[in-house]
Amino acid sequence: MSKIILEVKNLKKYFDSPKGKLHAVDDVSFAIEKGKTLGVVGESGCGKSTTGRVILRLLEATDGEIFYKGVNIRKLSAAKMRELRREMQIIFQDPFSSLDPRNTVSEIIEEPIILNKLIKNKKQRFERVLELMDLVGLSRRLINTYPHELDGGRRQRIGIARALALNTEFIVCDEPVSALDVSIQAQILNLLKNLQHKLGLTYIFITHDLSVVNHFSDDVAVMYLGKMVEKAPAEELFSHPVHPYTQALLSAIPRPTLDKHEKIILKGEITSPIEPEPICRFANRCRYAEDICRREEPQLETVEGEHEVACHRWRELEG
Amino acid sequence: MKDHILEIKDLHIQFNTDEGVVQALNGIDITLERGKTLGLVGETGAGKTTTALSILRLVPRPPGEVVRGSIILDGIPIMEQSEYEMEKIRGKTVSMIFQDPMTALNPVIKVGEQIAEAISIHQKLSKEKSLAKAREVLELVGIPGNRMQEYPHQFSGGMKQRVIIAIALSCSPKLLIADEPTTALDVTIQAQVLELMKELKQKFHMAMVMISHDLGVVAEVCDDVAIMYAGKIVEQGSLEDVFLRTKHPYTEGLFNSIPNIDDRKAELIPIRGLMSDPYNLPSGCPFFDRCDYAMDICRTEKPVKHSFSDTHFTECHLYTAQPEFSLKSKKTKE
Repeated sequence: MSKIILEVKNLKKYFDSPKGKLHAVDDVSFAIEKGKTLGVVGESGCGKSTTGRVILRLLEATDGEIFYKGVNIRKLSAAKMRELRREMQIIFQDPFSSLDPRNTVSEIIEEPIILNKLIKNKKQRFERVLELMDLVGLSRRLINTYPHELDGGRRQRIGIARALALNTEFIVCDEPVSALDVSIQAQILNLLKNLQHKLGLTYIFITHDLSVVNHFSDDVAVMYLGKMVEKAPAEELFSHPVHPYTQALLSAIPRPTLDKHEKIILKGEITSPIEPEPICRFANRCRYAEDICRREEPQLETVEGEHEVACHRWRELEG
Repeated sequence: MKDHILEIKDLHIQFNTDEGVVQALNGIDITLERGKTLGLVGETGAGKTTTALSILRLVPRPPGEVVRGSIILDGIPIMEQSEYEMEKIRGKTVSMIFQDPMTALNPVIKVGEQIAEAISIHQKLSKEKSLAKAREVLELVGIPGNRMQEYPHQFSGGMKQRVIIAIALSCSPKLLIADEPTTALDVTIQAQVLELMKELKQKFHMAMVMISHDLGVVAEVCDDVAIMYAGKIVEQGSLEDVFLRTKHPYTEGLFNSIPNIDDRKAELIPIRGLMSDPYNLPSGCPFFDRCDYAMDICRTEKPVKHSFSDTHFTECHLYTAQPEFSLKSKKTKE
């Protein structure tokens, strides 16, 4: 039996807004095994980044439980949580704004080691920085450069080195390659994959790019307006999407081939996440929506094995 | 002789900055037939946007400097026009859509008035008539006419991009330049906007230059593709030429870098290294140090154009010595 490293139960995060509560994450549950990657996909405003931040307690959840190695971390004191952050890290989307421009590469990578008083000896710390730079493929000669002198790919490598500086086991990767050119994107994706094998890391991989998530993840969760609408092993989800939103999302990806595939063009746009009614949140854009979809909120049901979907009509539409 | 809307010949543009000279475009040739769409593909700094801006003569001068070359747009030599003439050409003969719909609109002017502005300038219509026409164009891009009175912040990203398309199309230009028009949008909204652009292009028989880093978007919208690298077009051809009979190692590298959604196990083969420093381009082929096929000659001599057909050419030394050479691998299925 493989080991669950992180489990999230009925996670909710509501933000106050002048018009009422904004349901950014609404009753989301999932579990990740050690050494695996859960991809979280969805469009802007679906709550994927908020989910990542709430799990690390960079934002406090409104409700729900987060178990990391069996411990409910929502109950941990700030001091205990700080200790735990040595294992739980995050890599951000924008390598341009997430690094302190006044620090050199070595200072940036070294900072978490100093803050956590991990290595006190200066020389050893320097050795560790060099080791980390080698690990993420940053040339040692860049050690005294500043972020602005480097391109996006290298900056993202610094972000990764920093995230690995402690005893990292679990990383939330929040759109780590979205700001990069494709050739550089492939370099970083391969790096993250190699590091996962080498160090046994567990990832939550948040992205809007479905081709990337398919390539990278073991399991994929699709979010829509704060809700998880479908979750399945990547292979299953991409070959057999059940939720109408997932189907539309997959068909909308522009493919770099000449074989034409039919697209499902969704009408309309995401509705407001502020005080949503307890109905299917996708109903107003769904081509299969019926009365029940506008009356009741669908719950997650098992399609087969690990494949779950929240849609009133999935059985009928599958048949 | 075919009728061309756009002919760019041997265009060289550089930027003279305090740090040195950036050679942004190093001999670009483009010909585009009326009603056709050309995709300009390349990474950050390849010169895609500079190429586009040069067609509108909007490259800031200084620091920009056209070293040599010519641009003929709808029969008009762009380089020789006065600024006054250019103002009449921009928006009327050629329009441009920018990547970021969030910043391209004026936040304090009603959407309808922003569209009407372009119409009244170029068509010399009264305010009422311009507004009426603006309403028509807005409806054409799928936005109800009664939203004319709203401000940009009341629109979502996809809707704003539609407004921008409406402004660009309001005077029925013969050429539309779209600079990453859907990059800032979500995929389902991107699909809507691309669909709309295809529809409108056909309806108005408009030519288009579509700048994109996404080969998927290009495959969907374009007839021809030009792959740019370090200020050069390294390969150009029809979609079929470039996608099925890839010739340049950089083009191959781009295809190999994209995760294949239909084959999740496929390994990504990144292009190693980084694009050469534009302040200091190598004397030979600019792709030399990242290329798996590089030979000695690539280090020292600039490659010249090698044509495979009327439509398809590449600039690479591989084919000078061995015209039958074929690249190793290609992930995309034929």
